[in-house]
Amino acid sequence: MKQIALYGKGGIGKSTTSANLSAALSERGLNILQIGCDPKRDSTRMLMHGRFIPTVMDLVRERGDAAVTLADVEFKGYNGVRCVEAGGPEPGVGCAGRGIIATFQILEKFGALSGDVIVYDVLGDVVCGGFAMPMREGYAQEIYLVTSGELMSLYAANNICKAIKRLASRSTGKCRLAGVICNAKGQPREEELVAEFARAVNSSLVEFIPRDRVVQLAELNKKTVIEYDPQSAQAGHYRSLAARVMENTNLTIPTPLEIDALEHLAYSYI
Amino acid sequence: MPLNTSPTPTSRSGGCTLTGALSVTTHVRDAVSIIHGPKGCAHHNFSLLHATGLDNDRAVIPGIVSSALLESDVVFGGEEALLRTIRSACSGGAGAVFVLSTCIVETIGDDVEEVCSRDWPVPVIPVPTAGFLGGTFHHGVNNALIAISSLAGPVEKDLTVNIIGEMNLEYEVEENYAEVLRLLHSLGLPTNIRFVHNLNTWDIASLGAARLNILRDPSLVPVGEHLSRIFSTPYVPSFPSGLSGTLAFLQAVGNACGVDSRRALEIEQALQAEVLADFADIGDQRGVFSGPVLNGECSHAAQEAADALHIRVSTDPELPALPVHPSVGTAGIRRMLHRWRRSLHA
Repeated sequence: MKQIALYGKGGIGKSTTSANLSAALSERGLNILQIGCDPKRDSTRMLMHGRFIPTVMDLVRERGDAAVTLADVEFKGYNGVRCVEAGGPEPGVGCAGRGIIATFQILEKFGALSGDVIVYDVLGDVVCGGFAMPMREGYAQEIYLVTSGELMSLYAANNICKAIKRLASRSTGKCRLAGVICNAKGQPREEELVAEFARAVNSSLVEFIPRDRVVQLAELNKKTVIEYDPQSAQAGHYRSLAARVMENTNLTIPTPLEIDALEHLAYSYI
Repeated sequence: MPLNTSPTPTSRSGGCTLTGALSVTTHVRDAVSIIHGPKGCAHHNFSLLHATGLDNDRAVIPGIVSSALLESDVVFGGEEALLRTIRSACSGGAGAVFVLSTCIVETIGDDVEEVCSRDWPVPVIPVPTAGFLGGTFHHGVNNALIAISSLAGPVEKDLTVNIIGEMNLEYEVEENYAEVLRLLHSLGLPTNIRFVHNLNTWDIASLGAARLNILRDPSLVPVGEHLSRIFSTPYVPSFPSGLSGTLAFLQAVGNACGVDSRRALEIEQALQAEVLADFADIGDQRGVFSGPVLNGECSHAAQEAADALHIRVSTDPELPALPVHPSVGTAGIRRMLHRWRRSLHA
């Protein structure tokens, strides 16, 4: 079983990328589980045709964890992709990070962490230990960074490199950086810049996904691009990403950049 | 050989903020102290307070309840659990409710103050007590005393004196109070309330009436300052320690209250001479100070007593131990000399 996690700045397109990656992987006949690890709970929505599925934390809040079963939290989406949303507290109260930890414990108890590939779609930044949970021992060993060529997006990706490096240095730390996915904003020389960033943090660019109107159209139709327009060039990019993920063996301990070096890098690609 | 095997040295003042606050709030006997946190935070404090009460011959069940947070409360916020617990405490006829926070609720950011400020049938008073913020037992005591003082309103001044911040967990709490009471009587000063020791919510209303506050020890100065701002009551920063310290205390209290202390001082000096005469049998001997708390004030009081009896204090561990404990007043010195006598005659 392969377990991968996608991390990146909020709004960069992690959920869109994750859902399309899961859809493309499922086309290869694989048993896929996608887990949304964000209280916003919209990771799996396109796989579920626009439906916000009940989250693990919602059900625990309503019924108590003893009364929740796997069937209550795992939903079959497009092409059999199994979808789970961790959920979390209302914005502004409680501890969302602990919610992620609790969700993982419940999924473990159910034996839900199975299949050919598990895709963890994790919120913007690794703000506390709870959001590093998918990188811990027994969960995702392969971490993909989703970024555009914008400085703030690279900055967030670089911060996540720091978290991976820290966790990889632990005696139980098995997580590695598996690659950088460029979800392009359409700025000039964006692919070169992100490829250079990937090299600088001791990794590589695994897929360049150009900006394409079809992504918005698919979203408005509450579908993944794979389902909405399977013949599109964009769908081809997601299939290519799926192929790269399955064959990828280049797992590294990242070398995060100092802020000056990062800014210098971005500046040199103006 | 040092017996403390813990990785960092600990002392009474290094304890948990929560425990310090509970040592105060549970002495408001008709109030309920809610520990907003996991139930274990309540259990071990309950046991400690109960056991200490028994040591002091006081079989009182501490009025502690827990909001008993579980993981789901941590994830979704603990305010609902706190609301339920306050509601239940209010319906049980409590005179007041104190809400003490714990590490986890401060970490997740529960708005305890807001919940307490809602419309409740009895005063519901938050006391910040999360230990991980770096506070100690003393901070808990001070936070609790300052919070509880909000139960007192403006009242006319009378001729009385308050006792502030007694160490409710110390073994000699009643003996120490009795000694201060004796000294105050010798000045003709009546006491008002023991804030906070074994009283009820309504007793606290008169806190502002006293013309002087006597603090148990100088760690309570922030409380003394607070009460002086709110009620314009001056304070004496500590119970008396040592022979000369006791005389200085009488003078300071007399001055603060505008009372002539000369007669009281004469009586006290005569008493001290009597005490020293009683222990003439241990004079001119040699010993070495020992004890768990050898701070400057204790050591000074002990050295003064040793000098008065011509006892030579050395550091030679072969010599008999002269136990030194924090002592209050002339009576405290007398108890210390009894311990010295037992040791020197052993």
